[in-house]
Formats: sequence, C-alpha cells, structure tokens
Amino acid sequence: MEQRNKSHITSRILIRLPLILWSLAVLYPITWMILGSFKSNAEIYSNPWGLPASFSFQNFIDSWQNYNIDVGVFNSLIVTVLGALLTLVLAIPTSYALERLKFRGSTLIFNLYISAMMIPMVLGWIPLFFLLMRFNLLDNIFGLTIVYAVSQLPFSIFVLTTFLSSIPKELEESAAIDGMSPYGILLKIITPLAMSGIITVTIMNAIQFWNEYFMALIFLQSRENYTLGLAVDFISREAEYTNAWGTLFASLTIAIIPVIILYAIFQRRISKGMTEGAIKG
Amino acid sequence: MVQTKKQKYLFLAFCLVPTFILFAIFTLYPMFSGLYYSFFRWSGSAANMEFIGFGNYVRLFNDSIIPRTIMHDYFLVATKVVGIMVLATFFAVAIMQLKIKEAPFYRIIFFFPNIMSVVVIGILWTFIYNPSLGLVNSALEFIGLESWTRPWLGSETWALPSLVLPSVWAGIGLFMLMLMGGIGTISKSYYEAAELDGANEWQQFWKVTLPLIWPQIKVSILYIVITTLNGSFIIVQIMTGGGPNNSTHVMGSYLYQQAFVQYNFGYGATIGVMILVLSLLTVFLLQLLLRREKVQY
Repeated sequence: MEQRNKSHITSRILIRLPLILWSLAVLYPITWMILGSFKSNAEIYSNPWGLPASFSFQNFIDSWQNYNIDVGVFNSLIVTVLGALLTLVLAIPTSYALERLKFRGSTLIFNLYISAMMIPMVLGWIPLFFLLMRFNLLDNIFGLTIVYAVSQLPFSIFVLTTFLSSIPKELEESAAIDGMSPYGILLKIITPLAMSGIITVTIMNAIQFWNEYFMALIFLQSRENYTLGLAVDFISREAEYTNAWGTLFASLTIAIIPVIILYAIFQRRISKGMTEGAIKG
Repeated sequence: MVQTKKQKYLFLAFCLVPTFILFAIFTLYPMFSGLYYSFFRWSGSAANMEFIGFGNYVRLFNDSIIPRTIMHDYFLVATKVVGIMVLATFFAVAIMQLKIKEAPFYRIIFFFPNIMSVVVIGILWTFIYNPSLGLVNSALEFIGLESWTRPWLGSETWALPSLVLPSVWAGIGLFMLMLMGGIGTISKSYYEAAELDGANEWQQFWKVTLPLIWPQIKVSILYIVITTLNGSFIIVQIMTGGGPNNSTHVMGSYLYQQAFVQYNFGYGATIGVMILVLSLLTVFLLQLLLRREKVQY
C-alpha cells in the first residue's frame, strides 16, 4: 500500500511537470517582452533575457512621440468602439427577429448568416477593396469600421440568438398586452434582459477589432490612418534596419495591455464565449 | 393593442432589412463577385479589365508555386492538428483527472495567447527565433548544442516548421478548455466501474475518456482545420512574408502578394476560389472521416 502511494505521488509530480513547463513557455516570452520595453537598446544586446537594470519609460515616450503609436492607438480605439457599437445595433434586432418572430424564411436567413462563419473571407477581400474605393471608404477608418462590424455579424447573431432563446417569453407577452409596441419591447424589455449576452459579444468583438491586422493592411494605406497593429508591424519591419528593439517592445506592450486588462476583468466570460462559439459554430 | 399585419411586417423589416443590406453589400456581394473576377485579367483600373474565360485557371494549374503553397497549408494543418490535439488532450486530462488544486491558474494562463493579436504573437516569435539575440538559439548555445543553432526563419528548410510552434502556442488554450468541458460531463461512475474491473489509468483514458469526448475532439479538429486554411496566411505574412524564396508561402499569402502587391487582381481572385473550394472540400471529407458511432454506456 505504501509503495503504491509513493508511486502515486511521483506520478502526480511527473504529470505536473509538463503543465508547469507550458506555463513558463506562455508566461516567459510575454513577461520578457514587457520587461524588454524598459531596457535601453544597449541593454537588450548585452542582456536580452534578464531583468532590466533600471525601469526607464524612454521607449514608451519614443514610440508614442516618434513612431506613430499615438495615432495607432487613437485609430484603433475609434475602430474598436464604433465597430463594437455598430455590430450591436445591427445584430440585436436581427437576432430578436430570427429567434422570436418565426416567419417563413427565418431559418434560411439564419443559416445564411451562420454559414458565412465557415467561408474563407480572403476571396471577398479583392472585390471589397474596389467596393470601398467606389464608396470613397478606402484608406478610411470609418470604412474599416463598417467592414469590421459586418464581418462579426455572423458570430454576434449566433451568440445572441442562443442567448435570447434562454430568456422566458412571459415578460414580452405581458408587455405586449399592456400595449407596448414591438419597438418598445425590443428596446426596453429584451435589450436589458439580454445584457449579459450583449456584454459577452461586445467584449469578444472589441478584442477582435483591437487585434485585427490583415483587413487593416489591405484597406488602409497612409500612415496617419494606421491602426495599432499596422503601426506596430511598421516599427517591427523598420527594426530590422534601425535595431530599435526597445521601442518595438514598448509598442507591443502598449498593444497588449488593454487585452490583459479586459482578460483580467472578464476572464470567465471571454473563455466561455470563445469555447461555446467554437463548439456550436 | 392588436397589431395589424402591416405593422407586424413593418417591424420585421425594421429588424431585418438594414442589417441584411449591409451584410449583402459587404459579405455576400464580395464573395460572388470574387468568383466573377476570377475570369478576368485585371490590374485594378476599370479600363483594362479583360475577360479571359478560364485563362486564370489554366495559369493556376501551370503555376509551379501553387502546389507548394497548397503543400505548405496542409503541412500547417497536419502539424497543428497533431500538436494542438496531443498537448491539449494531455493537459485537459491531467488537470481534470488529477483534480489539481491550482487548475484555475493553468486555465487562465494557457488560454491567454488565444486572445493575443496575431501581430504581437508573430513579432514576439520572430524575435524568439532571431539568429543572434533570440531565445531559441541562446538556449541551444546554453545547453551546448551550438551546432543546432541556425537562422530559423531565414532558412528555406526550417522557416515553415518554425511557424508551427507559435501557432500551437497560441491555440492550445481554447481546445484544452473545450476538451475539459467534455471531460467534465463524464459521470464518475464510469471510472469507478472501470477501476473495479481493474483498468489502470491508461486504459481508463483509452476506453472511457477518449470515446466519450469524441464529439469535442471532432469539433476541435474541424475548427483547427478551418481556421488554419482560412487564416494561416496572417502569421505567415507577419513572420516571413512568404519567404525565403517562397518556402513559406501559403495560399492566402500568395493571394495577397498576387493581388495587392503585384496587382494581378483577376489571378488573385482565382487563388481565392481555389482556397474556397479546397477548404469546403477538406471540411466535407473530414466530416466523413471523423464520423464515428456515438458511444453510449
């Protein structure tokens, strides 16, 4: 018996080892990137993987003032906030209609939206490029905002309809008997009841928009319109020649901090939202 | 208040029409006109758009880079599926089965890279692979394997395999959580019964856990395949741009290069059609392949 316990304990430690190693593999590069943003360039060369000798904010000031990061943060904020709001304005009424007001063709429309989640969007990006050009929305962050919002519609409708189906119908019915218009029901009854689902969708969309890179790369051209991802990528490509690694790390840190903060607050919601979106989608 | 039919339809239209118009303009129309553009030679200006029938498709079949991009895509698909599934299953089983106290810590840490921007992941890993400063070469030197050090992303042989690790690194958390969800729904009585029958932990894993979480495994594999075929080009674009010497180009990054760098928009659209066809075909075949009798005990 004792021997069995002993081997049991060893096996538990042995199984923990890979878990600990993988935690290190995740944490170390991120921590090191954030620490690197406080190092001078000389220090990055002499001591790339250790702690900084002193914490200097020079890299952050530099990237903010001289490397266009201020513009990138500003543009990304606009795209993220407006995009997330626009997605809600478009997705909530449609989700409500598709889930609660069954009509002929509602399943067809629902399936049309959902199947768009599986289709590779690259093919559409070429015509979209010329479409935006014709609307004078190319190289325009508001044009990008619309594209972002529409691109997250299928996911948002999917999550919101699932969520709405779990809300009991009694409240809407009694409000309708009291003479409330369907518009009022949607705005004053459904939206507050669905708030938890709406928050989940909004956080997921906001993270998506904040992080997005490729559509911004195609649809934006001038540096004053760059979103944060493009601005960081620009510094990274320059760093191959300028070796301004400290500034690069500072700009990466700026890009990741809002995501870390959101994750710290909404960790359960985010991981649940993403897993469920993947399982059912 | 009794609603008239007209009011009801008006409300339905209010809910559905504006959203659908935007969806049609910015998603449906681009998809279909992408198909249409694939029959033209077109450098971007309206004046020189020339109908060439299947010309682009003939070019596609004769383009010696195309088979390589397809191979690269499926290499990433295969290595990511194996890498992510093996590690995610191991971690999920270890955390759930052993009832580790610090389980929430691992959940939180492992999942975080899933919500990091691909830009950050790509640049971070480019630096990790940096020939002179990077972590990989430094670590190899540290343990005395100087001869293994190389310019990872600059080598035609090693650049593509080097892209697998960041993708696995970034993807594992999500699938681990999905599998943990599956394991959580398995009733303890199965394990108790298996234990009474004398099955060891390894046998329990193969005979009880794995069959019962097969639905989650199937969904995970499909999800990895779809997201890789539809999105692997983003990390390629950031980390290598398709180089060195086309050795890491995948279908999507080649489309980007043809359309938005060399202004062959018609040919780019043809590559897009190929991506669409291949990814639909792959998902369809995979669903047939992964079909398996639902297990019930």
